[in-house]
Amino acid sequence: MKCKAVHSKLIFFLERELPEPEMKAVQEHLAACPECALFAEEMKKTLSILETEKVSEVNPYFYTRVKAKLDRQSEIQPSGIRSSVLARVLQPVAFSIILILGIYGGVKMGATGAKTASTFTAEQEMVPYLNDMDVEPLETFLME
Amino acid sequence: MSDQEIIEQLKQGSEAAFRKLVEGHQKLVVNTCFGLVHNREDAEDIAQDVFIEVYRSIQQFRADSKLSTWLYRISVNRSLNHIRDNKKHKWFQSFEKDVEARNRQILQVESSPTDHPGFEMENKQRAAILQEAINSLPENQKVAFSLNKYEDLSYQEISEVMEMSVSSVESLLFRAKKNLQKKLYKCYKKKCM
Ligand SMILES: [Zn+2]
Repeated sequence: MKCKAVHSKLIFFLERELPEPEMKAVQEHLAACPECALFAEEMKKTLSILETEKVSEVNPYFYTRVKAKLDRQSEIQPSGIRSSVLARVLQPVAFSIILILGIYGGVKMGATGAKTASTFTAEQEMVPYLNDMDVEPLETFLME
Repeated sequence: MSDQEIIEQLKQGSEAAFRKLVEGHQKLVVNTCFGLVHNREDAEDIAQDVFIEVYRSIQQFRADSKLSTWLYRISVNRSLNHIRDNKKHKWFQSFEKDVEARNRQILQVESSPTDHPGFEMENKQRAAILQEAINSLPENQKVAFSLNKYEDLSYQEISEVMEMSVSSVESLLFRAKKNLQKKLYKCYKKKCM
């Protein structure tokens, strides 16, 4: 077995998941190749960290913390619901006001733009954009 | 009290039953979250939310399913959400950069004298490399691998938690190990530590 083949099987060798003949072949290679043996040793040590990381002792305050968090959330929730209901009513209202103001402003600007077109070309170019921005949300709003 | 009885009483609003449920399964939940987020504090924080979700949605729990499977599923989902939220801030970082950053952190923290300072440091660096390697796995592979390694779940159990066939779990674990091997080899060649 070549070094490259060993590298591609090493993790399965360490996990003892290879078929018996391959286990043996890797074992023999490692015994003869210090380079691969070193890498195998490294990988073994690194993978063994998994065992040491498992939670062995439980936090004695865990339940108290869960309960406190639960109580805190239950207290906040009623007002949370109220504010979300409020938001659901207020948002469309605010949106409509902005929309109406926007359209009104757009019409106004369009009118002034037309009047002063010869003097303010830059403003004239801006006007269609402003109108677009106002009209587009209205269309999508109505389509919904 | 059996899981069945705990759930029955919890559905009737018993606080004692909730306490039993938390204390009986806290290790399972914290361990599962830790296996994915690799930070003790975050894992406990997410675990608290897992139990709160259980408390709030206990009425929807079907009597014919296993409590542990349900707990694993909520733990995995919440941990993945946590990882996704954190990723938004560092999506451009590479595996090698992560390891480097972690190593620098370890070197800074390592100032308290212990019996085996060299040994401790080496282990911390190894842990950092391993964590970053696991973190870099695709989500499904990461979940299957950590359930298998941190909770010692069998392929059958993982397949129930992840709602997929046993052969899919096998293939996920195979690919996860292949990828880890690749990362660890890269690290070894570059003398990461
Ligand atoms: Zn070799």
